[in-house]
Amino acid sequence: MTVFAIALLASFTTPMRIGTTPASVLWLLPLVATISIVYKATKVSSIRLRPFAKETAGLFGSILVFILVAAVVLYGVAWIVTGQLPGLLDHSAF
Amino acid sequence: MGQSWKENHALYLIVVGAVAWLVPGGGHYLLKENRRAAVILVAVTLTFLVGLYVGSIGVIDAVNAKPWYAAQVMNSPVVFLLGSHVADAYHRARDAVQGEATAAREEAGGTTQAYLVFGRAGEIGQIYTSVAGLLNLLCIVNAIYVAHLRVVGGGHA
Repeated sequence: MTVFAIALLASFTTPMRIGTTPASVLWLLPLVATISIVYKATKVSSIRLRPFAKETAGLFGSILVFILVAAVVLYGVAWIVTGQLPGLLDHSAF
Repeated sequence: MGQSWKENHALYLIVVGAVAWLVPGGGHYLLKENRRAAVILVAVTLTFLVGLYVGSIGVIDAVNAKPWYAAQVMNSPVVFLLGSHVADAYHRARDAVQGEATAAREEAGGTTQAYLVFGRAGEIGQIYTSVAGLLNLLCIVNAIYVAHLRVVGGGHA
């Protein structure tokens, strides 16, 4: 038991190995879920499982949709600035 | 002197706020909002612990990341203990390096802290622990507001 407790505590002293990969973006999902849960917990008049889950899922979905829209817009801006604009100006922008 | 502590409005709000900061969800528990308190406790604590596990306790950096530390401290006063432990380790490591240092090693003083954390794990850990703290700040403010409304005769906001 003591060995387990020490091993558990020691695991908090070294960081996990997480690569800078597209998959690492998925770490935003638990964070968005937490934000939705806590925000809705402070907003709903009473907490009952079904209505609370529905409210939370709605906020979770709308945050994700907004993030996706922001990502697409930023990708589009980057595509225009780095891919299209230099061709239109007939010389490299960078 | 016949007034109960609940009738002393300012003190009541301070106690609710302090308990909400001491334990996430504690303020709502004091207001008999047990389910709300449980949801807040589990969500905030779990997010904070996941952040610590991913980035290690090195993400509680009171020396080099003060704005993040300010947000992390909102989780609970316990974070002060973690922060001072990490800062002590950092200062010990820096002093040890400076004692034997060449100029080049002194320049690299920032990377000699005892709890090394960088890269994506450091980012995720810092973001998780800080967001957990800011969510708890939201809960503290909400608990104080609900307590205020109850004292002045309103319902839940």
